Amino acid sequence: MSTGRELALTEAIREAYIEEMRRDERVFLIGTSIQAPTFPHTNGLAEEFGEDRVLDTPISEPAMTGCAMGAAQEGLRPIVDYMYAGFAYYAASEAFLQVGQYHFLHGSQHPLPMVMVGTCGVGRRVGNEHSTLPYGTLIHHPGIKVCMPSTPYDAKGLMKAAIRDDNPVFFLWHTSMMMQKGPVPEEDYIIPLGSADIKRAGTDLTILASGFQVGNALKVAEKLSAEISIEVVDPRSFEPFDRETLLTSLEKTNRLVIVDEDFERGGFAAEVTAQVMEHGYDLLDAPVKRVCHPHFPVPGGYIDAYTMPTPERIEAAVRAVMGS
Amino acid sequence: MTLTNENCIELFRTLVRAMALDRVMMRLIRAGKLVGFYHEGGIALAPGVAAGFFLSKNDIMLPHYRAHGLAHMLSKRVDVKLYFAEHLGRVGGCCKGRSSYHASFPADHIFGSSGNIGANFPVSVGYGFAAKRKSSGQIVMNCSGDGSYGSGRSHEALLMSANWQLPIVFWCEANGMAQHSSMEKLFPGPNISSLASGFGIPSHIVDGQDLFACAEIAQVAIAHVRAGKGPIFVECKTLRAQEHSVGGVNKAGIKPRDPDLMRRWRAERDPERLAGARLIQLGLLTEKEITEIHAAADCEADALAEACESLPKAMPSIEELQSAVYA
Repeated sequence: MSTGRELALTEAIREAYIEEMRRDERVFLIGTSIQAPTFPHTNGLAEEFGEDRVLDTPISEPAMTGCAMGAAQEGLRPIVDYMYAGFAYYAASEAFLQVGQYHFLHGSQHPLPMVMVGTCGVGRRVGNEHSTLPYGTLIHHPGIKVCMPSTPYDAKGLMKAAIRDDNPVFFLWHTSMMMQKGPVPEEDYIIPLGSADIKRAGTDLTILASGFQVGNALKVAEKLSAEISIEVVDPRSFEPFDRETLLTSLEKTNRLVIVDEDFERGGFAAEVTAQVMEHGYDLLDAPVKRVCHPHFPVPGGYIDAYTMPTPERIEAAVRAVMGS
Repeated sequence: MTLTNENCIELFRTLVRAMALDRVMMRLIRAGKLVGFYHEGGIALAPGVAAGFFLSKNDIMLPHYRAHGLAHMLSKRVDVKLYFAEHLGRVGGCCKGRSSYHASFPADHIFGSSGNIGANFPVSVGYGFAAKRKSSGQIVMNCSGDGSYGSGRSHEALLMSANWQLPIVFWCEANGMAQHSSMEKLFPGPNISSLASGFGIPSHIVDGQDLFACAEIAQVAIAHVRAGKGPIFVECKTLRAQEHSVGGVNKAGIKPRDPDLMRRWRAERDPERLAGARLIQLGLLTEKEITEIHAAADCEADALAEACESLPKAMPSIEELQSAVYA
């Protein structure tokens, strides 16, 4: 953090790509219209690394995912870019079942190093497929690591960790943070998958939030700072999940609100709630409260701006937990 | 013929061994000893033997699922004992007893299987891409049936491999059936290989009951892709003279399949008998030598099953399995 240089979130991802592709010639990118590019994180990469290392594919999600899987089995280190993470559902068998379960089912003999990348997030008025956040679905399937940064700094470090991991990693980034700037050091660094970060320290209540929702949680923490001391914990990766950091926070605050922009039903927030019940029940002074996307499809129009977790909904949840 | 005399004898020996293994697998599943299910190869194993025969250890192969790929693995000189052990759920199985029926021989560039028909196509693109990017000289032998071309994944793979001119042989063992449905109802034409022309991929059709014809076309296809001429499609017309999965129905839609026809296929179109007769006619083997090859193959298959049955069942602890998820 020494230089004070600032990059946008997508520029930080791009820097991770460039550094890793220069370091390791096995790394390559594959996706739909990534050469042009569609999003800034692949800007200029085909020019530097060649069109046979930054590959535009037909609109064929199963084939691009399977291509990455096969190439990884043959010793390369692919990065598949779905554009929108919701498009990975077209390749559900490959993305959710096969890549994660290959290693285990085939006797844990052979690694499968590959990264899947997609943007997601509610609030852009683009409807369900362009918004849906698949981390709840992903963590349900064994063998896939899943992460999502809330700052450009985390984006670079998590992406470099994902590329160097010997397992499939799904790297999600939030569309609303595409050009959000923050300090990013020029040097090589890694943020290990499975290490949560305390984004703001507090003593009265813990908010667990990811991606874009970390910003909303911090807004609420700041607004209420005179009356409630809120600690904001960003898991940074959903699998592996750093439960210890959350439980340590709860030892201090004893109250938990989980903000999860994914659908409420059977999602990450539900999973964390269950884990806290099993491993930290005695730490709680109040029931856990979730602030999620309600259990209906992500709508378009003007509706999604208030169906997603907002500072208002988070504040209401915080007050409910503090009052109980 | 482009095949040497030695090729012919060894191809025949491999087919006899593969069919002996298939019979032993049938015996095991009927005795309730095989884990999972089994899809008999029967008289459809000549294409599989031809597909693997001319591959090197470094070439990548996706075995077809019929006879769960035993003919393919045998001809690629993989140690099929490990696969037998796997299918019996034993310690020492190629997937440590975790898969029932998957092949995993990474050193032989057979990376695995999937329970989904059509899952072979996307990964084959990745194998071909990796071979090309590494300039390794490897080729990909992607074996499947005609039914798998109902999966859109096959069309995506044909498209991407044609775009990138990847070294992939699309080796189709077309038996005219997809589970309990006739391909006549599932594909609007007589030859599945006609698909290839839409992608500018050259194709061949061969009699899948003729072992030596399959082997010759395999040589042609392998030479084509190894020379960097892009993908190629081979359709081996073969026969399924029994049900899809052991113990299941043997119907095409609502109609039972004709048992007399299937009996006639087994009598007249058995690739082992056809190839054996040809070798005698060519003076390459005597009847006595053929009988000896059969006896040795049966002996090998029995011994293999016996050895695997004597292994302990793979029953790892939950903790061991939990720690095996990630590399």
